[in-house]
Amino acid sequence: MQFGQSTRPGGYAPATMDDRRLIFVSGKGGVGKSAVTAALALRAARRGERVLAIGMVDSLGLAAHFGVDALEYEPHQVHTGVDAVAIDRTKALDEYLRLQLHLPKAAPIGQASKVFQVFVDIAPGVREIISMGKPIFETWQGTYDKVIVDAPPLGQLFSYLRAPATIAQTVPTGAVQDQALRMRDTLGDPTTSALVLVTLAEELPVMETAEALDDLAKEPVIDLAALAVNRVLSPLGIAPSVVDDLAPGPQREAANLHENLFADQQPWLAMLPAGPRLPYLFGFLTPGEVAARLVDHWEAAS
Amino acid sequence: MSPRPRSRSLLVTGAGGVGKTTISAALGIAAAGAGVRTLVLTVDPARRLADALGVEHLGNDPTPVQGAPRLWAAMLDVTASWEAIIHRHTDPEVAERLEDNAFFRAIADRFPAAQAYAAGEQLAEYLEAGAWELVIVDTPPAGGGIDFYQAPGQMRELVGGRILRVLTGAGLPGRRALYRITARPVLRVADNVLGGALLQEFTEFLMDLRTLYDGLARRATNIEEYLRASTSLVVTTANPTPLREARRFFEELEAIASVPAAVVFNRALPNDWTRKDLDLGRDLGADRASTVLRDNFRRWAAEARRQREAREEFAAHFKVPLATVPWAEHPPTTLDALAGLMDVSSGLPDHALVIPPK
Repeated sequence: MQFGQSTRPGGYAPATMDDRRLIFVSGKGGVGKSAVTAALALRAARRGERVLAIGMVDSLGLAAHFGVDALEYEPHQVHTGVDAVAIDRTKALDEYLRLQLHLPKAAPIGQASKVFQVFVDIAPGVREIISMGKPIFETWQGTYDKVIVDAPPLGQLFSYLRAPATIAQTVPTGAVQDQALRMRDTLGDPTTSALVLVTLAEELPVMETAEALDDLAKEPVIDLAALAVNRVLSPLGIAPSVVDDLAPGPQREAANLHENLFADQQPWLAMLPAGPRLPYLFGFLTPGEVAARLVDHWEAAS
Repeated sequence: MSPRPRSRSLLVTGAGGVGKTTISAALGIAAAGAGVRTLVLTVDPARRLADALGVEHLGNDPTPVQGAPRLWAAMLDVTASWEAIIHRHTDPEVAERLEDNAFFRAIADRFPAAQAYAAGEQLAEYLEAGAWELVIVDTPPAGGGIDFYQAPGQMRELVGGRILRVLTGAGLPGRRALYRITARPVLRVADNVLGGALLQEFTEFLMDLRTLYDGLARRATNIEEYLRASTSLVVTTANPTPLREARRFFEELEAIASVPAAVVFNRALPNDWTRKDLDLGRDLGADRASTVLRDNFRRWAAEARRQREAREEFAAHFKVPLATVPWAEHPPTTLDALAGLMDVSSGLPDHALVIPPK
């Protein structure tokens, strides 16, 4: 596997990320991207910023990490300094159409919306640009200092990030094209927007991350600001010979398991570029506690 | 007369990243080892696992797995499946036009229901071929596995022309209805936003797609019957994200399929580690090495308790048999290691694997 060509020398440390106003967090499903999204939102709030956290496709994970059951379709405070919102497809579509057609909020667009909903489901780039609209409009509007997005998982991410460029190419009319171009430029501006990728030190997440870096190198739609590795184990801290001398039993089994899992992570970690390493968090923690702990570890890694 | 399956099927569902493919492969090896001619259809295996099964490339044609008699493997090729589907259900001219259509390619490439439907079509083909006694499907992970069951219905609806009726306002329009499009006020709005050319292209595409309807609808009904008749296993880990998807699967499943034979918790730590009477310091002193070992065990024991609680709560809530596959110290990527995984698992119902005696 090649990680070399598309990586930036010096890796992806998040030092420059704090100034950005629009941050997308993604990774393969199950790597903990919602936890990292929540952690980054809490971290920005601690620094005194007003934050909007957005759950883009499945917002239940993000909700759990803020300690609530579900996110609403209008921003609601979930933590001091942090508002959170879920994107609702129908509402996002209405919002998008109103912006396009310069309609007041109360104007009825139900029937147009109905036609579009079906179109949106299958026309390339349309569903994606509508979901991308919310975070980008919020960034333009400037109600919040920072917009942090729990973005779609890696498999779908690029069809979303590319959507403004796709639409600008395929839609020939003036206003829509102008706005798509403006969205594309906001995403591509490294002083405004950043992508944070989360991975695990395991085969499939690392492979998918390598593919994502290649895609980004070919088509730099957004600046990758940090590549974080989640659930990293620390070394056991004693010589293997000591473990081998132990009597058979749970202590020895747990020590062996830890040693072996740690050893399995090393080649993948060596392959990944530099960036925050977030520890495996053991035992009974609520998702909210997980997010709060990750803030501290992110701080230490930065 | 509708075709009849001549073999049994086992659907392995669950969220992405829980080890579904590994468990499907291990089950396949176990079934083949027990004398059952078995085919495993995988969706997107890890490289090393694919190598172990000898499926280096996408391919819907099953190939025998070297070193495992009676075991075959195939890796779903969504594009090839869809090309076959349209050629089967419409005339060659329309099929070729569809193949080149950007909307069609978008559906085949990234519409989750299209991937899931392709897997269902392949399952039906394999079942009807009768060459295997057991077909194991490592199902596409979208929607925690629910999408796989809903895909035939969704594709039937997409092809069925509902969208077309909304767009043209006609019952079942011929090509002439196209000319009415720009006359409808609602579509003037669409015209403004998207441009008339794009809208027209879209409508033409839907008309071509509509020609698939009779064939595809019949096929979708077959597939739905096969899915209902299949045995299923839900794979998860004790982590919150896959557990949430597994829960959703059980909550929504009732309406569409039979109850899973078991929920399989992968990467399980030994229940033994959760024993309250375990004296952590019994064999250990106060030196540094002993402290390290004690702390290490405490951390892992806390994990083991968290997992156990999650498993037992899930099984009790959904009244489903509970199976566990232990956390392998190294990811199993050889046939031997995969076979070994089943030896150390517990609670997997035999009837999920082996054909009952006739």
